[in-house]
Amino acid sequence: MATLELDSVTKVFQDGNDEIRAVDGVSASIDDGEFIVVVGPSGCGKSTMLRMIAGLETITSGTISLADRVINDVKSQDRDIAMVFQSYALYPHMSVRENMSFGLEESTDLPDDQIQEMVSETGELLGISNLLDRKPTELSGGQQQRVALGRAIVRDPEVFLMDEPLSNLDAKLRAQMRTELQRLQDDLGVTTVYVTHDQTEAMTMGDRIVILNDGKLQQISTPLECYHEPANQFVADFLGEPSMNFFDVTLENGVLRGEAFEYPIDAETEADLGGTTDLVFGIRPEDIELTERANDAHDFETVVDVVEPMGDENTVYLQFAAAAGEDDDTLVATTDGFTRVTEDDTVVARIPEEAIHLFDRATGEALHNRSLEDDIEAVELD
Amino acid sequence: MSDRKIRTDGSGATVTGRLRRNVEGLTLEDVGLYVALLLMAGFYLVPIESGLVTSIKTGTAILETAPFAPPGSAGFTLEKWQTAIDALVRGMGNSLLYAVPATVISAAVGSLTAYGLTIPDWKVSYKAPLLAIIISGIFIPYQAVLVPLTQFWSQWVQLVQHLSFVWALGVPDDYAGIIELVITHVAYGIPICTLLFRTYYKNLSEEMIESARLDGASLRRVYQRIVLPLSGPMFAVVLIYQFTQIWNDLLFTLVLVSTESSPAAPVVLILAGLGTSMEGQDFALRMAGAFFAALPTLAVYIFFGDEFAEGVAA
Repeated sequence: MATLELDSVTKVFQDGNDEIRAVDGVSASIDDGEFIVVVGPSGCGKSTMLRMIAGLETITSGTISLADRVINDVKSQDRDIAMVFQSYALYPHMSVRENMSFGLEESTDLPDDQIQEMVSETGELLGISNLLDRKPTELSGGQQQRVALGRAIVRDPEVFLMDEPLSNLDAKLRAQMRTELQRLQDDLGVTTVYVTHDQTEAMTMGDRIVILNDGKLQQISTPLECYHEPANQFVADFLGEPSMNFFDVTLENGVLRGEAFEYPIDAETEADLGGTTDLVFGIRPEDIELTERANDAHDFETVVDVVEPMGDENTVYLQFAAAAGEDDDTLVATTDGFTRVTEDDTVVARIPEEAIHLFDRATGEALHNRSLEDDIEAVELD
Repeated sequence: MSDRKIRTDGSGATVTGRLRRNVEGLTLEDVGLYVALLLMAGFYLVPIESGLVTSIKTGTAILETAPFAPPGSAGFTLEKWQTAIDALVRGMGNSLLYAVPATVISAAVGSLTAYGLTIPDWKVSYKAPLLAIIISGIFIPYQAVLVPLTQFWSQWVQLVQHLSFVWALGVPDDYAGIIELVITHVAYGIPICTLLFRTYYKNLSEEMIESARLDGASLRRVYQRIVLPLSGPMFAVVLIYQFTQIWNDLLFTLVLVSTESSPAAPVVLILAGLGTSMEGQDFALRMAGAFFAALPTLAVYIFFGDEFAEGVAA
């Protein structure tokens, strides 16, 4: 177990005469025993980053170090890193027991009986003791998944790397494994880098999440910080389902003017903007309150376009009454499942000022994020 | 490899029930298909059947009955088989002496070469030309190398002299021809073996190999413990293909061993002259000889049949 340090790591692929920067100057410091989730849309370079840590991909520039030792030129087999692949990559001709002992046999000088003992222990830990003598083809997807995990765990490596390990499982099993994986990692305390495109996994599993886009690091913070205090518009858009509402606005005399609405802001918020006037206004669907009557300047009359009942909550697509018929000014709100809203109703959407986000339209950088009550921090550390 | 799956769909419950369902579900098209298949099977089997019955006929029976008709009790004899076996059995041993090592060595070398050209992440600019050179070897016809081949073995590498200590032990020096055949067939077989194995290795899961590397296995160990054990089906294909090819080849044996009277004469060489004489052809003897000489190749097919099917499908 050790800290893993990435220092402006870059990977450039040559495609004919084109250069593709898959990973572009990513720096991150991962603490001993930390669970880091790397997330981003497909093609953002997250798998390439993982493969560079594993030594399966060369590093174009920058350094990766493990326990203060630069491992750029250390071969995969000498890195003491275990990886769980999306396809599980089990050895089909070996039994589960052989699959799990393979790594120990190849990487250590332990005597056979000790290896067998460790395999049995890990098998028990994962609840696959009864499967040890089966071949991978005789196992279900979930069982294969466990074997793949066991194969990594039994080696007790410095670092676990996981490349979308749950994406081949069905939804229910995935949720179950998510919790179990977290518990295991907590018990074992092994530094873990977990790659996924699934934001639920990112939000729920990681101590911190690393968000990548186009090979560039967007943000690295705790899940709640990323959610509530995104560094830029990309992060704000990527996290959250349904995603944040965005509207182009211009600041004029303390009022944000958009195509469909005008939104006055107070001096404190305006101070955050540092004189930037071309902005993007952001509000999360769950921060919008639906009321009956407009009371102040932050309440807007809207017409209900579509209602998607989800059971526990409704997703409501609203259209500003002032700009009826313009599609790009749809406002998405979520309400609890018992609020009765039907199509073509006129409702008032209240957008509280403490919940709004403002981004620089040119750079996407967040200038003003929602204000958080301090108790969120406390809950998260619990 | 046994990948029997546990059935949970209840199929295979009752054989008779399934049979009834099959017959009931038969349409006119199905019947037509089966009739056509039967006719085609018959078409392909007739020459073999004719050969077999001819081989057990007496000389007169051959003249009096149709080629595919059975000999009848008067025209039946196993004498030709006896003669053929007596004549060919020594050649059989000689053939095995070079066909088996040549097959095994070319398959092993092909597998290793293919592994080197696919799995390690060596630069494509090194691998591609090497592969191109090896593959081009497949397209060189046997006839084109006959002269250089004789030159090579008779002038540059004179095995008869180099191996004089072997002949001193009492082995006839004609057996130098057998060693020449082994080396020649290995050299000629490597390109096709490499190509077949390469295609197979290309389809192995990349993540599985990477996983083995991360598990601490070196390139050599990955081959030994992962790639080689998974190569079974492709080995079956290559072994069958190479064995049949080498066993049946007459051209190289003619050039390198040349006479059927030699103690090292392979079976094909003896077979070529079997049953032909000034008085005409002894069809029965030739057929019996042909079937007897083909037995080992048949045995190889039967022995590796299951794996062969798996390898061809891969």
